Amino acid sequence: MKTANQQTLTIPRQGQRINLALHVAGVVILFILPAFLSSYIQSVMTRFLIFALFATGYNLAFGYAGLTSLGHAAYFGAGGYTVAVLKLHYGSDLFWVGAPLGILVATLVAAMFGIIALRVSGIYFLLVTFALGQLLYSVAWNVSWLNTPGMQGVSGLSLPTFGIAGFALNTTSFYYLVLLVCLICFYLLFRIVNSPFGRALVGIREGEDRMRSLGYNTWLYKYLAFVISGAFSGIAGVLFGYYNYLISPTHLGVGTSFLPMCMAIIGGVGTLLGPVIGAAVIIFVELYASIMTPERWPLILGGLFVLAIMFAREGIGVYLWRLCNKVGHHYGSTKS
Amino acid sequence: MEALRVEGLSKNFGGVSAVDNVSFSVEVGERLVIIGPNGAGKTTLFNLINGQLPATSGRIHFLGEDITTIPTHRRAHRGQARAFQIISLFLNLPVLDNGLLALHGTKPYRFKLFRSINHYKLISDKVQDTLRALDLWEKRDELVKNLSYGEQRRMEIGLGLALQPKLLLLDEPSAGLTMEECSGIIDMIKNLGLDITVIVVDHDMDLVFGVAERIIVLHYGQIIADGAPEEIQADPRVREIYLGIEE
Amino acid sequence: MEQFIINLLNGLSYGMVLFLIASGMSVVMGAMNIINLAHGVLYMIGGYVGWTIAVKFGAPFVLGLLAGGLAAGFTGLMLERGFLRYLYKQPNEQVLLTFGFVYILTNLSLWVWGGWPRMPFTAKFLSGSFEILGRAYPKARMATIIIGLVMAIVLWWLQDKTRVGAMVRAGMDNKEMAMGLGINMERVFALVFFVASCIAGVAGVLGAQLLGVYNALGLEILLLALIVIIVGGVGSVQGALLGGILIGVIDAFGRALFPKLAMFTMYFTMIIILLVRPSGLLGRRT
Repeated sequence: MKTANQQTLTIPRQGQRINLALHVAGVVILFILPAFLSSYIQSVMTRFLIFALFATGYNLAFGYAGLTSLGHAAYFGAGGYTVAVLKLHYGSDLFWVGAPLGILVATLVAAMFGIIALRVSGIYFLLVTFALGQLLYSVAWNVSWLNTPGMQGVSGLSLPTFGIAGFALNTTSFYYLVLLVCLICFYLLFRIVNSPFGRALVGIREGEDRMRSLGYNTWLYKYLAFVISGAFSGIAGVLFGYYNYLISPTHLGVGTSFLPMCMAIIGGVGTLLGPVIGAAVIIFVELYASIMTPERWPLILGGLFVLAIMFAREGIGVYLWRLCNKVGHHYGSTKS
Repeated sequence: MEALRVEGLSKNFGGVSAVDNVSFSVEVGERLVIIGPNGAGKTTLFNLINGQLPATSGRIHFLGEDITTIPTHRRAHRGQARAFQIISLFLNLPVLDNGLLALHGTKPYRFKLFRSINHYKLISDKVQDTLRALDLWEKRDELVKNLSYGEQRRMEIGLGLALQPKLLLLDEPSAGLTMEECSGIIDMIKNLGLDITVIVVDHDMDLVFGVAERIIVLHYGQIIADGAPEEIQADPRVREIYLGIEE
Repeated sequence: MEQFIINLLNGLSYGMVLFLIASGMSVVMGAMNIINLAHGVLYMIGGYVGWTIAVKFGAPFVLGLLAGGLAAGFTGLMLERGFLRYLYKQPNEQVLLTFGFVYILTNLSLWVWGGWPRMPFTAKFLSGSFEILGRAYPKARMATIIIGLVMAIVLWWLQDKTRVGAMVRAGMDNKEMAMGLGINMERVFALVFFVASCIAGVAGVLGAQLLGVYNALGLEILLLALIVIIVGGVGSVQGALLGGILIGVIDAFGRALFPKLAMFTMYFTMIIILLVRPSGLLGRRT
């Protein structure tokens, strides 16, 4: 039974060019392809991007720092609920207000919960984050200010506006907005992961005692990783609020917290974009399940997950990564 | 000038005294070796000095300052470096990454979020120099777990030294090494400057007597002998512990 | 005053159910270092099977208890033998795997028993109430308290006073050593896990007297168990008992005095414990 061989992010010199080429190709496809597809598919792609962002942000804490959190939906949902409350009580769907505020709220929640959760480590950490997530779920369920009268959650949300007269988003333009936000976020995450800070997180994951001996204040690193990952989850949540037209306590609960973890594992926790692949797999399997056997979707999801843990612990992303390196190696050696 | 002073240091684990009222001091530049049977408390003592464990009672002074309650990472900033009994290198990471992490630990820009780690030329150069000196530059992309045990041990100590610490704590550096590798370690220690204070815990008598200017013998958590190597060799209590001979 | 006693008894009966739920999970965590997030689902399966036997087929309640316990036990055994045994010493993977099974088993239960909730049920001789201090009090709740106490004593005895308990503790620390001493660790682990799962199932049937059985129980019970474990400390029957009773009583008084706050009293308690004594009231300090 293998444990995940977490890949380091010192991009090996040989694989670098193939890697870059693939990434550029991917971005190009994401830009061009949807323009030719139906708005339904565009909507699915938007959903994919939002969850890819959620999962990748989550993975900063999970895969890189080794913090197994089962309550990240709290930050995702916090972002979404901010958008919801702005609409419900202030009638506003201005992007310039909703987005920054949503990120702020999500970050604050992560900052508070981080302090409580990081009092413990290992598995307790997981249990505590789970409980804290459910706490927020409970709050959203019970506090009437957070609910549209007569139902659980907040409905009637819509695509964001920009305060520009005569300009309104539709499904297609919203997709491009989300794509833009995601690309910016992925770029930021890329920088973070390759910085001394990001590298230290990997060290802490691999051997916290040694890191402390070397002079790193490991608690602070873990805390920062947790809060930053909460912030990115919040960004995803804000986008989700606009996308979904409805936010409910479920989006704060463990069911939603489970998704980024699932995606990260299936796609590969050891790479930055592994979770993106995982998100693609899950969103698209979900699509088919919703058509064929909607009631059995949790069963399928759980089954996929169990299979991933038992047989493909390193995830698909890591296999692709290794493939890149092998190919790059081949070309590298034939060059000199 | 005292590098380290330990006063009345004790560590209890629910009734068991792993370290019992230990007091000694070490001058700057001194080479101290601590020996004793297994379970005598040597590693616990190191854990107390380096901060992995909080003391039950007693005080620790490092370079004139009381560090008893200071966390491990701050002790590293003040100049402590440690090699662990069980190799603590990051086995699943490449040699280069291990080097980068080790050398960044006490630098202010270890918190930098956005510049690539390769951006910091000074450190990159230092890492390269250090790895070359250890004959490991060629293997920099190799995962540490794929190195030989001797290479790993050499690397761990070598990285500790690259930090230019004031106090080097070596916990059983000879464990698992061949005679050749062991004498390599002995040479390494002998070549250290006098601005570094070295405390070694070990069982290998070649290393102990090859390196020590002074030896402390620990038994059941207490110091039973403290002096120059010749004195220790002749001490009847020590002989009793090691050889079971009663005089 | 009578109301105080009533609240206290309510808290104790609920607390006993919590104790039973948490004890299996906590002991497995402490002795085998296995995190089984599907523990709550085992409770639920026990409840459903108990309902099927006792209500649908009208058999005696005790039979339902037994059947529920065994059903949960065998499900747990399947989980351990088929999957968890490959993941010893890999807590992350265990957590993830068992959570995947929460989904799988919850969905399967939905398939088998349907989505409509089952009302609380109990044995015929336990239905109705008897008098305490001039008030009527449900017999079923009283029985739950008594059964809970009995099981607490039995479990504590098993844990501290028998060879099995010692074997498990030894085996988890050093499996090769224990096996070298002639103890078949695989079988011991399987047995412990089976027993812990059975207890979860029994708890499910007992709890069904108070809560009924429904599909969301899997996660709800997990959450309750975790709060109890966080408060009481991991690894010991005593911790689960203390945590369970404390949470049960706090919850009962909370509902009586501040009905709006409902579940929050539990969360507050948990957060306070985490900030003040993270390893739990009776947990081992790390």
